[in-house]
Amino acid sequence: MNRKTSRREFLGAMTMAAGAYIARPALLQAQQAPAGRVAVATCPEYNRQVVDALSTMFDQLGGLDTLVRGKTVAIKLNLTGSATVRLRYLPPEITTWPHPQVIWALVHLLDRAGAQRIRLLESPWATTEPLQEFMVYAGWQPKEFENAARRVEFENTNFLGSGKTYARFMVPGGGLLFTGYDLNHSYRDCDVFISLAKLKEHRTTGVTLSMKNCFGITPCTIYSDFAPEDEPLLVPRGGRSLFHFGNRQPPKSAPPAVNVNSPKEGGYRVPRAVADLVAARPIHLAVIDGIYSMAGGEIPNQYGGYHIPVHPGLLIAGTNCVSTDAVAMALMGFDPMADRGVHPFETSDNMLHLAEHLGVGTPDLTRIEVAGAPIAKARFDFRKVKLSAA
Amino acid sequence: MGLNAKWSPMYWPCGPKEVARVGASNSGSWELKKVAEGWAHPSALQLLKGTPVNCLLVEWASGAAADKPQQQALQPLLDAGRALGLSFVGKVSAKANPAQSAAAGRAAGLEAVMLEGGASQDLDLPAILEFPRDSIDWDGATGIYSTTGNVWPEINLPTMKGDIALGGPTGDPWVNSNGWFSLLARRMAPEKSLWLSIDLPDFPGMLPAEKYCLAIADSRVYGARGILSLDGQMRTALLNGDAPALDAWSRISETLSFFDRHAAWESYEPMGVLAVVSDFTGSNAFMAGETLNLLNRHQTQFVILDRRRALADPVTKLKAVLWMDDDEPNPAQARNLIAFVRQGGLFIAPKYWGPAGIKPHQEDWLFGYEIYNLGQGRIVVAPGGFSDPYQLAIDAHLLLGRENDLSRLYNPNGTNCYTSMGPDGRELVQILNYSPQAATYVALWIKAKARGAKLWSPHAQASTSLAGISASQGTSFDLPTVLVHCAVEIERTV
Repeated sequence: MNRKTSRREFLGAMTMAAGAYIARPALLQAQQAPAGRVAVATCPEYNRQVVDALSTMFDQLGGLDTLVRGKTVAIKLNLTGSATVRLRYLPPEITTWPHPQVIWALVHLLDRAGAQRIRLLESPWATTEPLQEFMVYAGWQPKEFENAARRVEFENTNFLGSGKTYARFMVPGGGLLFTGYDLNHSYRDCDVFISLAKLKEHRTTGVTLSMKNCFGITPCTIYSDFAPEDEPLLVPRGGRSLFHFGNRQPPKSAPPAVNVNSPKEGGYRVPRAVADLVAARPIHLAVIDGIYSMAGGEIPNQYGGYHIPVHPGLLIAGTNCVSTDAVAMALMGFDPMADRGVHPFETSDNMLHLAEHLGVGTPDLTRIEVAGAPIAKARFDFRKVKLSAA
Repeated sequence: MGLNAKWSPMYWPCGPKEVARVGASNSGSWELKKVAEGWAHPSALQLLKGTPVNCLLVEWASGAAADKPQQQALQPLLDAGRALGLSFVGKVSAKANPAQSAAAGRAAGLEAVMLEGGASQDLDLPAILEFPRDSIDWDGATGIYSTTGNVWPEINLPTMKGDIALGGPTGDPWVNSNGWFSLLARRMAPEKSLWLSIDLPDFPGMLPAEKYCLAIADSRVYGARGILSLDGQMRTALLNGDAPALDAWSRISETLSFFDRHAAWESYEPMGVLAVVSDFTGSNAFMAGETLNLLNRHQTQFVILDRRRALADPVTKLKAVLWMDDDEPNPAQARNLIAFVRQGGLFIAPKYWGPAGIKPHQEDWLFGYEIYNLGQGRIVVAPGGFSDPYQLAIDAHLLLGRENDLSRLYNPNGTNCYTSMGPDGRELVQILNYSPQAATYVALWIKAKARGAKLWSPHAQASTSLAGISASQGTSFDLPTVLVHCAVEIERTV
């Protein structure tokens, strides 16, 4: 599906689709969606400079201390896809995943700011294996993260994990795709939630940044094709196809769909799931690694896409995920206010708008204060690079 | 006269029996019958000139009236072949009289007979016993022995056959390989040579050379020899002197020559810190065999131990022991295993045989296992026994920990690798590509620190140098495109 839609039509369609389910206060919130300050730094390489750059950026955001001192901090990493798939010979941290140097620096700075406990979270593909094992599989050394702070923990959140029950997150206002989501306990048992993402495009949602990273907080024991009708699986199997295709419902134990007859199309469904998730499980700090990345999609060699390595040399952080992603999009050469049909949302609704209408934050650059490197100077046009390479 | 471990065997279907077989089959055609006659003619042997094929397997006796005409028809071929230095092995079916068949074979110039089923008797010729793979008698196997029921090595594209799952729901492509079985054969019958008899796959047209090369590599890499068997269309085309077929034959021959040049690799020992222990017979054969198959597919390096003889001495050089059978370790084995665990080893078993009084615990991620801490190590028990080899292979690898991997492939797709070590301590990693597409951008990681490596491939006479890149406490090598097979000989940093 690749239709051109005006912004007015888009919002109308969105309101119609969810109209019966979105509570009026949420629509009111949309008009007041907050804007967060976003810090941008140029950082050419993965080295000690990353710590300095992030430290400066966090200061520009008001400092980490007040956010994390004495707190349990959970960091959702962005380790999407297989640990052994690479773009050409490049390891995943150069193209697909946040680099260990960025993770290390963030953990180190959180520790320095007084975080009591730092938990690294991810839902590796179809496995209950410890997250550290998944990292080793990719050629990483998780011990380095353990050494970056006094107390570092890891959890694979693609299943029940160390929790006794799933934690339920209801979407304020009733939700766009589901009324709520059942997640691994780690997303509840934290005081501060950080989304650490890679600066990338995405086949279904146009871009994948701090918001889309949270798509991966949903456990495949519940949200995969293989989940039973009533209860979650013990062990995750397969991917999150029900979000993409709406071909089935999650087990009855999970919160239900807002509308079982909603469109069965990824460009409609996935952005709504993302908006729901960041509304239900708010992100306190969004950090995006754009030092090295790739253009053309989210996972190398997938769907026959044309992916090329890129080197934007950027770090982006903010306390509002919508505003942070909006700035990141602008840095990638995209209009964060673009409607469906306009790149990068050629085939999807704009998840930033959807989150805005759930009151999460604004993607309106005129309302967002950018600290550090100005967008105009730091911009790295992903599509231009791709076109020139092609 | 005797069995020769250096024989490079090829099935040579010809003569009246082959003509009758082709005629009886649905696909029987006038052309194939003509080929069956043509291949019995001595001139067909010209095809073998300059190739490593030095042993032809011919149909000899099946206890039927047609045996005599077959043997007579083959005589000129045998005479011509022997003059060229070729050896002939006659296939004798269970219905035939082995003694009579062997005597006739000796008179005609056969060097051995391949006996289908049954034990070898006092024969005029050395015997090669042929077993179904799932009922092999390791101790009764002859110096060269053969198995049937092997798989054609390739990616198995269908995921279901009726109600039977052929492929996993996720993860790596499902690959058919005989590698695990060849490794098992090396352990269970160490002084003997295994010939794999492999049925040709259904294919519309002449099988591409790459498929034959893969079948050869999948045997030779793991220390066995496949009996080369060409499809009907290839044989027809070769007899007609068709250029594409001759080119394919040349590449097949190159691959055979390559492995002959590197025959020493066949004696290299498999590397691994996980030992899989079983008697691999009777009711234990399937579960233990399939676990080997899947461990290999998951690139988990392992060594195989025969339960009847293993662990009589203190366990060294291992990190984990996977005890497959329900049978209890004997007292010496139990003593050594407990000592191994106390010193930090991992013992995975279907039952608990450790000291009494230890309370087990469970881990969140590991379903269906009880864990007993003992000394510095652990005994991990599946209380209901092992039931799913796929899951067991994954769990064993994770329990061992990927930090104990000795090698790993990135962008593996349809490739797999086998890591072995020569008597001089030199490591060799062989990469096989089971996909019909060339494997690009494959990177090999090894745990060792290496300054470089030599890359060998079947279609190049000399090796090329590979630069090692320091990565993850080991070394990474960016491999050039892998068509079917390549070997990476590691040059370790001292």
